[in-house]
Amino acid sequence: MNNVLFFAHLKDEVGAESLQIEAKGKSVLALKQVVHDTYGLSSIDSVMTAINEEFAEDDDVIQEGDTIAFIPPVSGG
Amino acid sequence: MNDRYSRQLLFSPIGEKGQSLIGRKHVLMIGAGALGSGNAEVLVRSGVGKLTIIDRDYVEASNLQRQQLYTEEDVKEKLPKAIAAKKRLMAINSEVEVVAIVADAVPSLLEDLVSEVDLILDATDNFETRMLLNDISQKHHIPWIYGACVGSFGMSLTIIPGVTPCLHCLLKKIPIQGMTCDTGGIIGPAVQMVIAHQTAEALKILVGDLDAIRTTFTSFDMWRNQYSNIKVAKIKDTGCLSCGEAPTYPFLQQENLTKTTVLCGRDTVQVRPSTAQQLDLQRLSQQMKVSGYDTKGNPYLLSIDLKPERVVIFQDGRALIHGTKDLAQARSIYQKLLG
Repeated sequence: MNNVLFFAHLKDEVGAESLQIEAKGKSVLALKQVVHDTYGLSSIDSVMTAINEEFAEDDDVIQEGDTIAFIPPVSGG
Repeated sequence: MNDRYSRQLLFSPIGEKGQSLIGRKHVLMIGAGALGSGNAEVLVRSGVGKLTIIDRDYVEASNLQRQQLYTEEDVKEKLPKAIAAKKRLMAINSEVEVVAIVADAVPSLLEDLVSEVDLILDATDNFETRMLLNDISQKHHIPWIYGACVGSFGMSLTIIPGVTPCLHCLLKKIPIQGMTCDTGGIIGPAVQMVIAHQTAEALKILVGDLDAIRTTFTSFDMWRNQYSNIKVAKIKDTGCLSCGEAPTYPFLQQENLTKTTVLCGRDTVQVRPSTAQQLDLQRLSQQMKVSGYDTKGNPYLLSIDLKPERVVIFQDGRALIHGTKDLAQARSIYQKLLG
C-alpha cells in the first residue's frame, strides 16, 4: 500500500489530506492518471510529485510503502 | 546611526564582515505586492546597499490587508506600488539606495539591469515572469529565490546557477494560471512565512554563506499546520533548456511572451504595447475629459472610468483593464482609447 498526500487546494478537491492507494509498480504518470480518473483532479498534469520527500519524474516507479506527495505549484505573491 | 545594525552584527554568521558585504550588494526585486513589501522591508532594514524594485501595478484597498508597506493614503492617491514602496522604504532607512521602476518586467528591461545585480528576489504573481527570471538568472549566473503563496499555503526554493536545479527543471511547462489564485484568497501569515524563508536565504547569499543555504523545496500550510521539505538535487536535468548543457533560454525570447495577460485573481487584463511608449498623461487626460470621459490621475498613471470597466493607463503605454477577463475585449477597449 502507498500513502498518497495532497497539498494545498488539492486537499479540497480530493476531499482528504491523504489516501491509501495500491500503487506499487506503477509509474508516477500512471498514478496521476488514477488520481485524475478517480477524483477528477483535472490539474494533476502540472502538479509536482515527491516520493519519500524527494522530487520525482513522471517515469519514476513507485515501490511498496513509498509515500507520494502531490504539490501544486502556486503563483500568488 | 552607528548603532543601527548592532543586533545583526552580534549574530555571528553575519558579524562585521557580513554586514559590510550586505552593504555593498545590489538586490533586484520583481514585484512589490505582498511578498515584495515584506522582502523589501527586511532587506532595507538589514542595510542592503541597493534595492531595485520593478512593479507594474498601483496600490488598491484590497492590498492593505497584507501588503505591509502601503497605507490608505497610497490607495487614495492611486500611487504605483514601486513609488509608494520607495517612499516608505526611504523613511525606514535613508542609507539604502532604492530604485523604483514602474514597468512590466520584460526581457529587455531585465537584461539592461542585471549586469550589476547580486541577487534576484521573486515577488511576482505569475509563472510567465518567474520563468523569465529563471532564464535571466541562469544566463547571467545570478542566484534567485522563488516564493509564492495562496490561501494559507506557501512555498519557496533557492536557485543557484551551476549548483541547484532550476525552476524549469522542476516545472517542465508553465502551469495553467488562475488555477490556484482565483479561489483561495490569501492570509497574511502565509505571506509572512514565505517572506521569512526568502529573506533568510537572501541574507545567507549576500554574506556568501553558501553552505547554509537550504537545499530543499520547502512548503507549508499555516492553517493546517503542515510543513514539508523535499530534496531537489535529483531532478537537475542536463538537457534543461534553461540550465542544462546547451541552454537556449527559451523564456527570454520575445515571441514567448504575451502582450495581453489576465492578472491573477483580479478580474483584470493587462495590455502592453509591443514597444514601450512615453505617454504625455496630462495631455491624454485633457483629451479624455474633452471627450466626456470620467478621468483621475497622478504623474504616473491615468484612471478612466468607463462603467462597468475601468482602465488605468501608465506612462509606458501599458494599461490595466479592470472588470474583464476577456483578452479580446480588453484589447478592443485599449485600442478604442489609445488607437
